[in-house]
Amino acid sequence: MEKALIEVRNLITHYGDFRVLDGVSFDVRPGEIFMIIGGSGCGKSTLLKHMCGLLKPTSGEIRFNGRNIADLDEEALSVMQHAIGIAFQSSGLFNSMTVGENIAMPMREFGEVDPELIDHLVRFKLSLVGLSNAQYQMPGELSGGMRKRAGLARALALDPELVYFDEPSAGLDPIMAAGLDELILKMKGLLKTTFIIVTHELESIRLVADRILMLDMGRVVFCGTLDEAAACEIPRLRQFFDRQPDEFISQRNLD
Amino acid sequence: MSDLHLKGPEELNQDTGAHLHKEVKRVWRKGAERLVLDLAATRCMDSPGGAWLLKISDFLRKHHARLECQGDRGDVSDFLRLLAPALTSSPPLPRKRTGIFENLGGVLIAAATELRQFMELSVDAIYWTLIAPFEGKGFRFNAFVDEVHEMGVRAIKIVCLMNFLMGLIIAMLSAKQVESFGLQIYVANLIVIGFARELASVVTAIVVSARTGAAIAAELATMTVQEEIDALRGMGLNVSQYLITPKLLALIVSLPCLAVLGLISGVLGGGVWGVLVLGFRPSVWYTQTMEAAYMDDLTQGMLKTLFFAVAIVMIGCHNGLRVTGGSRGVGLMTTRAVVMDIFSLICIDIVFAVVFYYILG
Ligand SMILES: Nc1ncnc2c1ncn2[C@@H]1O[C@H](COP(=O)(O)OP(=O)(O)O)[C@@H](O)[C@H]1O
Ligand SMILES: [Mg+2]
Repeated sequence: MEKALIEVRNLITHYGDFRVLDGVSFDVRPGEIFMIIGGSGCGKSTLLKHMCGLLKPTSGEIRFNGRNIADLDEEALSVMQHAIGIAFQSSGLFNSMTVGENIAMPMREFGEVDPELIDHLVRFKLSLVGLSNAQYQMPGELSGGMRKRAGLARALALDPELVYFDEPSAGLDPIMAAGLDELILKMKGLLKTTFIIVTHELESIRLVADRILMLDMGRVVFCGTLDEAAACEIPRLRQFFDRQPDEFISQRNLD
Repeated sequence: MSDLHLKGPEELNQDTGAHLHKEVKRVWRKGAERLVLDLAATRCMDSPGGAWLLKISDFLRKHHARLECQGDRGDVSDFLRLLAPALTSSPPLPRKRTGIFENLGGVLIAAATELRQFMELSVDAIYWTLIAPFEGKGFRFNAFVDEVHEMGVRAIKIVCLMNFLMGLIIAMLSAKQVESFGLQIYVANLIVIGFARELASVVTAIVVSARTGAAIAAELATMTVQEEIDALRGMGLNVSQYLITPKLLALIVSLPCLAVLGLISGVLGGGVWGVLVLGFRPSVWYTQTMEAAYMDDLTQGMLKTLFFAVAIVMIGCHNGLRVTGGSRGVGLMTTRAVVMDIFSLICIDIVFAVVFYYILG
């Protein structure tokens, strides 16, 4: 079996006293599209933030290319983060810069990109997400879905080895969402980019996912390929794929 | 024949792309219509390579020619398909910055509009604060109490400290000036009159506008940016009633109280210098202070603070609600609010000085 790009072992994390992740373990292999699913509030965004070293776990380890993130010093962590592109759930664009400058920023700051080339590279990245015309607009002037796409363009700015993408298709129209799926597949094919994507879109899971991880109540319910998921009888997973409601909307955050 | 031919490198990346770009410029002849790029030998390309192609395409477009790629296969074809939308469209034009400052008319209109908005908001807020509660429309008493705590009670320490130090410093400086005349006891008069008429209210208001005025502007601006204000309006609630009224009333109540505390601290500060350094007996200094203290001075000084309070809250709210453009806008509007606060304090102060000491005399 191929060596894992990311290994998560027994990850436990808290917000204050509230245990968000409760012993999560899984592997992500290089070049695959790994999708994380689960009800809202089950800790998916939190998991992503741990995997890029923004939050420190209570216990457990996360290994990136075999090295434990918690053991990295600031500099090594920063080097690791250059190899990762992150598109946050609420885009995280800098409001004080135009969309184009947002995308140029990582290129200027870390990339060994020829300064002459930055403008055209920015245009290329923007055209990938269908935002060519927004280059000189401010993020405040974009709609939610446009901001999300601009966030992805910024995540892709340095052709990262690994892209984290939090709920890419929330707020996008179906046509754009389908275009995004295609883009992700192409990036995977061409640049061997690894994607870790949090999503709720059944369509896009069926189309692009290599493997999926399902979280519920801070634990792993399922981790495996699509075919395995289709054959699997775990009730929570079936419920997700068949879009069945709970009998009550569960009150997990009140426990 | 107006075609140019070039061969693509084996691997199209940042360096080979730069080379290709130079090559294109070298072979370029006037009047050529087409550049045919043979990519048969190219095995792979990456994003910077693609960006160089864009740059070449832009260069050609500027000279009314176009770029045509031929013979590409495999991954390179896929990549070119990703690149296609950017290749075929011309670059967007940078936005022309037609700032409002370009013409005086624009500035005047903007200022007039802003003034109108400010007046509307103020009238609305004052209606909801002073009139509506008596018409039986709601008043958020709990929010009011919270605001009094935040704006008033928690500001006591800094207000007292500032005024105390001001009193100390003024006593120190003025005692030095009158030393040779032997009139040092009159420093007590100076301190009490100065603080009652002017210093206590102004110093307090400046501290409060930096503390509370900025906080109000930042809070409302963030709420505007995050669509909280829209949410409030969408529920059919009135922003003035829900958000501004408790703040306005809270500061109208707290600021005069703070100013009185400030006055006491300032006089104490002067007294400390008078007793400990100038060597007066406490009772002497006390009697002198009390003789100089007039209720009129105090009322006039404190009356001002009511206007200061309204100005601080309304300017904070006004700027907060005007914000556009996310986090940067929040910072800009907060700064603007504090600057406008302090400017308006001075204006109000001047009006009072003219009315009470010059006209009424
Ligand atoms: N900064 C925070 N402080 C406290 N609790 C938080 C914080 N962020 C998220 N949570 C809680 O952690 C849980 C997981 O949040 P999150 O990872 O954002 O969920 P999601 O799976 O929807 O992305 C939620 O119950 C949320 O209430
Ligand atoms: Mg989330």
